[in-house]
Amino acid sequence: MNKQAANEEDKYSTKPDSSTSLTTAKRYKVALSVPSLRNPRRRAELGMLILQTIIFGLIYVLSQTGLTGKIPVHIPRSTIWLAVLPYLCHLGLQLLAPDADPAPLPLISFLNGFGYVMILRLDPQEAALQALWSAVGVVGFLLTLVIVQRVTLLDRYRYLMMLFAIMLVLLPLAPVIGENINGARLWVRFGPLSFQPIEIAKLMLAIFFASYMVEKREVLAQFSPFKFKRASVAIRAAGPILLAWSISLLVMTAERDVGFSLLIFLIFVIAIWVATSNWWYLVFGSGLFVVGAFVAARLFGQVNERITVWLDPWKYSQTIGYQIVQALYAFGSGGFSGVGLGRGHPGLIPVVTSDFIFAAIGEETGLLGTTAILFCFALLVGFGLRVSKRAPDQFSAMTATVLTLTFGLQAFFIMAGVTKLLPLTGVTLPFVAYGGSSLVANYVLFALLLRISSESKRQNRYTKKVETRTPPTA
Amino acid sequence: MDRRISQIGLMFLVLFGALFVQLNYLQVFHAKALATAPGNIRQVVGAFSLPRGPILTADGKVIAESTPVNDVYHYLRTYPGGSLYGDVTGYYSIDYGATGLESSYNSYLKGHIPPITSLSGLLNSGYVTDSLTTTISSKLQQVASDALGTKKGAVVVIQPSTGAILAMVSHPGYDPSPLASHSGTIEQSAWQSLTSNPSQPLLNRAIARAYPPGSTFKIVTTSAIYDHDPSIATISFPPVSQISLPLTTNKLHNYAYESCGGMVPELLKVSCDTGYAQIGIKLGAHNLSTEANAFGFNQVPPIDIPGAAASNFPVASFFNQNLPQLAYSAIGQGNVNATALQMALVGAGVANGGLIMTPHLMYQIRNYQDQVIVQYQPKVWLQATSSATAQVVTSEMVGVVQGGTAAGIAIPGISIAAKTGTAQTTLGIGSTISGSDNWMVAFAPANNPTIAIAVVVPKQAGLTGIQTGASEAGPVVKSVLEAALVAG
Repeated sequence: MNKQAANEEDKYSTKPDSSTSLTTAKRYKVALSVPSLRNPRRRAELGMLILQTIIFGLIYVLSQTGLTGKIPVHIPRSTIWLAVLPYLCHLGLQLLAPDADPAPLPLISFLNGFGYVMILRLDPQEAALQALWSAVGVVGFLLTLVIVQRVTLLDRYRYLMMLFAIMLVLLPLAPVIGENINGARLWVRFGPLSFQPIEIAKLMLAIFFASYMVEKREVLAQFSPFKFKRASVAIRAAGPILLAWSISLLVMTAERDVGFSLLIFLIFVIAIWVATSNWWYLVFGSGLFVVGAFVAARLFGQVNERITVWLDPWKYSQTIGYQIVQALYAFGSGGFSGVGLGRGHPGLIPVVTSDFIFAAIGEETGLLGTTAILFCFALLVGFGLRVSKRAPDQFSAMTATVLTLTFGLQAFFIMAGVTKLLPLTGVTLPFVAYGGSSLVANYVLFALLLRISSESKRQNRYTKKVETRTPPTA
Repeated sequence: MDRRISQIGLMFLVLFGALFVQLNYLQVFHAKALATAPGNIRQVVGAFSLPRGPILTADGKVIAESTPVNDVYHYLRTYPGGSLYGDVTGYYSIDYGATGLESSYNSYLKGHIPPITSLSGLLNSGYVTDSLTTTISSKLQQVASDALGTKKGAVVVIQPSTGAILAMVSHPGYDPSPLASHSGTIEQSAWQSLTSNPSQPLLNRAIARAYPPGSTFKIVTTSAIYDHDPSIATISFPPVSQISLPLTTNKLHNYAYESCGGMVPELLKVSCDTGYAQIGIKLGAHNLSTEANAFGFNQVPPIDIPGAAASNFPVASFFNQNLPQLAYSAIGQGNVNATALQMALVGAGVANGGLIMTPHLMYQIRNYQDQVIVQYQPKVWLQATSSATAQVVTSEMVGVVQGGTAAGIAIPGISIAAKTGTAQTTLGIGSTISGSDNWMVAFAPANNPTIAIAVVVPKQAGLTGIQTGASEAGPVVKSVLEAALVAG
């Protein structure tokens, strides 16, 4: 048995009885569970979903009443879809992942519903599209649960995924279908629908990082600038990752998008640090970040502009700082409890439904609403990290970590950008902001996390969890 | 790896904690400063993004309305009548506030949520607006404006028995629509051009600008004779072309040095300045000042739009040191000035048996269900004179049209009472602009007046030939009276 094979064995054989586990035996068949409310997790989930639906209904009625002064009588079909979709997800979990954690689905449904209500109030046409994309997202969620019966399956296709990710990243540069929006060439247009392939590519890259790092962690862990020989080994091991990473960075430079460049770079650096426990990667990464930021600020007007605006938006309140200044006004006007759903004027902020939806929530629901959103994201990040801590094997743990990082950092960056805590990076607020690709990607992301969550619970049912992860060996 | 994951959890705790701190800073500690920052137009937008009720003329013509538009304000205020009704409606502007009826009836016009009285009301409620019907007659407003033409001036037409303003024209006027634009540049450039125009289009000359009333003031002086010293009416003043004034070498002469004299009706008919100057001195400062105040001088008429100015007549004590001024004041010059509204009210007071009704532009306000919620109830503003005096003054004013200075406005079959006024403002000390402020006050039919009118055409560039009240203001009066009283 060569080392690679040993590693393979090591990665999956975390439990003595893993070869006899149910999922392994039925790997190529869709394993359906019998829906039952006797499972306390699903019962809890259903209860929370009903509560979520009530909240969604109230938010919808309040927002429309505030906007028009009339209690809405004709409820658009898209609103009904938004109310029904969470139950389809619930049914999917009942059938396909009955032991998954009950907390995330009600939370993401709440975020999706809240975002939809805000978009409906700002732009009914976009809201109908958002509902359509939510449905596509839920289909993606269910398909992911059906296809990825065991998350370790993904490990096998890592290079395929990397190639696919690179293809997706390159897609907007293609002449006919690629499209420039707000100076960034991130979109692909098919008829009336625009799509940001990078949102999906981001997921695939994250899984590739996880898979590759778990396999090469021992080699990678030896990286140190003081030991040249070992460093050269590490660099050789890190080669493919560096390649994938630099290609995506390069392409994103060509596509003029700071947000995703930064996001993927940070996920890469943190993931390699988590996998190896080698602090040098953080030092090295920070150095690279400083150099990259400096070069980007010099080379790209957009980066320079965002930093300038961040330092003093008031100076440019009528020009390049207009958007952020309007967002800050919105937060201020909202105050502690907000001006009331439907009663504010978030339409004063340009492109409010995608990048600045958080400011619209801040204006209409105040600190109470923004804190609620913040808590939802914190809870979802907490859920993701708990999944990775309880994951049955190294690859699952690493995948869960990287996926959580993707989700959490994206949420943090856009919220920090809109509140002027950090310069603005044009990423979307997961589940809340208008954007089809982002919705679909995040539904798939949570399907994977819930799959891992379900697996760990199922395995823990048979054996008490024991620490069987490979100790770092020299 | 477990430890690293915990450390990531800690990192997220710090990141989200920082966000929470920043949100508290923005939404609690710094919120007030941000909410009231000058660049934050949310409060303005709040007031401007509601539907707003229409303003209509008495005959149902829409002169201001809100139309739904697709921008942050949702509703755009437009003025279909253009500049014809600018001074009536006023403007409703994001940058420059509101004037006219837009300002005074804002609480009715702006969108509001009605009290919910039924279950179906709960589902159908929403922002509703009231509609304001004015007393303005679109026909008279149009005729008055057309008759004034390109001349600078003002016309006020009143229904004497109620105080309802049937027409109010100020030339040059302005179109309020650009000022209500949602585009800051359109709004500001319109404002710039209006405020930099030397003719002051934004000035409502009908109610806000007082001019020397000239001989139209003789209506008040005549009324004072019968109210305070009827013996003067028995005196026949010998015909002269000029008189010496007490305590000065200055002489007061008649228009074009004509010679005139006689008893009060003859003096009024030809507008005899020398005669009325002597009457003024005989009446004395106290009587004339009291009569002027009784007719509403030195008070702002309680019209229901903002911006009205008071007309002025000096207090009695002023004449103690300036007796010659009393002679000038008696003929509406010197320190006397009046708005077109005030002189229309003088005419209306005489027409209405001495009672001046409160002038008003609102006729009624209807709610969204077309029910009348406010109906204007006529109120007496002032008891200017007795009905007996009013009757005498009316008959003397009828004489002015029957072969007097206002003979030009005579309409066959209708008895009209009128008084001309030509204030030779060059008499003022230091004034170099030649010309006169030309007036006419009239009401008709004399035996049962339904309409009172005051027209002023102040001195201005472009008036040629000999200008008098009869030549400048007279034709406007005649057009309006014809439109109002002659069928067809």
